[in-house]
Amino acid sequence: MDKQTINVPSVEGFAQPQTRRDFFKALAAAGAGVALGSTALTRKANAQSGNGDVDIANFALTLEYLEAEFYNKALDAGVLSGDALAVVQATADHENQHVDAITSLLEGAGAKPVAKPEFTFPADAFSSQESILGLAATFEPVGVGAYLGAGPMIQSQDILAAAGSIAVIEGEHVVAFNNLIGVVPPANMAFPEALTQDEVLAAVAPFMGMGGMMDTGGPALRSGSTFRAV
Amino acid sequence: MSEVESHIGSVGIDREYSRRNFLKTAGWATAAISAAGITGFGVAERYANAADQPYKSYEGLGDVAILSFAYLLEQLEGIFYQTGADAGIFGGNDLTQIAAIRDHEIAHAEALAAVIQGEGAEVPATPEFTYPDGVFADPVAFLKVAATFEPVGVGAYQGAAPALQNKDYLASALSIHNAEGMHVVAINILSGVVPPNNTAFGEALPIQKVKAAVAPFGITG
Repeated sequence: MDKQTINVPSVEGFAQPQTRRDFFKALAAAGAGVALGSTALTRKANAQSGNGDVDIANFALTLEYLEAEFYNKALDAGVLSGDALAVVQATADHENQHVDAITSLLEGAGAKPVAKPEFTFPADAFSSQESILGLAATFEPVGVGAYLGAGPMIQSQDILAAAGSIAVIEGEHVVAFNNLIGVVPPANMAFPEALTQDEVLAAVAPFMGMGGMMDTGGPALRSGSTFRAV
Repeated sequence: MSEVESHIGSVGIDREYSRRNFLKTAGWATAAISAAGITGFGVAERYANAADQPYKSYEGLGDVAILSFAYLLEQLEGIFYQTGADAGIFGGNDLTQIAAIRDHEIAHAEALAAVIQGEGAEVPATPEFTYPDGVFADPVAFLKVAATFEPVGVGAYQGAAPALQNKDYLASALSIHNAEGMHVVAINILSGVVPPNNTAFGEALPIQKVKAAVAPFGITG
């Protein structure tokens, strides 16, 4: 496997991300087997678990950078049309606004927003509408899970309020993309699931310039705090 | 799959018709909620709300009171979707979505009831709700009311969340909040709104606005 590319599973592999487990199974199918080993990410993970609102906000900013760049590139590719184009345009706009909002939030708190990392996308990520929608449908539940997992760790009520206003939008995106890839019904979760920091990192690592795909099926990914619906 | 098309919203509802009429005036519920001042969700109001810190309106109530209020909102929604699903006005994938939302709202209500009972408190009695005339006879009218309920649900949870003391309850409230946002988009899809995800930031509502919005349906006090 080329070190800088990820094997993207077919859209069928992504077609029904109805549960976290299915989602990670689909992601694992993308190219599991290469061990997680990026020092940059490990450092981030440690910073994140040491936590604090600034760390959480910067972690969220990193995810928003990733999403924004993905959708911006998707629009630039010129392969979208119809409802898919309308949804991606709106989503790109939202993610760019989220980047701006979190940046302002951090600056307003006197903290330094992290710089945008260099992201790596699969070679054929933007070659077709199908590929874009399939990847979008994998990004969005990660965003939801990250915010739901981090939310209860946020100390500041105002930052929690801001996180809530963004988290719900990621959930809205999930449904919009579910609908476009044919998931019926598109709104299919009574209690969207929180992800642990490790799970989020595992999901986004391949896009963050890592040498390859991590093992998303291993028990190590189950570590960390887990939040459950009542 | 070069053609992408929605799998719901194509059964029983004229998408063009409902799109043109979506959130148009008329409608008893929409009027009631407009009177309460929470449609539109404009930028100005969002900033005003942010400045007001809506969560402060939930502080001091205590977790049980907040969750009891949420329980009534879920009952209001659950019975609404249950009646709608049974009304025979939806079919196919549209009905599948309406029934899923019904199940979600009922699951939310049951989860909240369990927490309230676990706190040794009494689950509030469900009032007899009043729904607009004809809402269960016409899918467009039904969806219009649904499109008013869901943002109220989002706004209530988003407003209340920072005021919750118990972090486990907070985690669950955030999850339910997200589910309500998902419903907003599902209802938009059924209503033919393109794009269905058309908001960059969810809007928190202070409790006064939530109460004003649901009072016409029978949640008082």
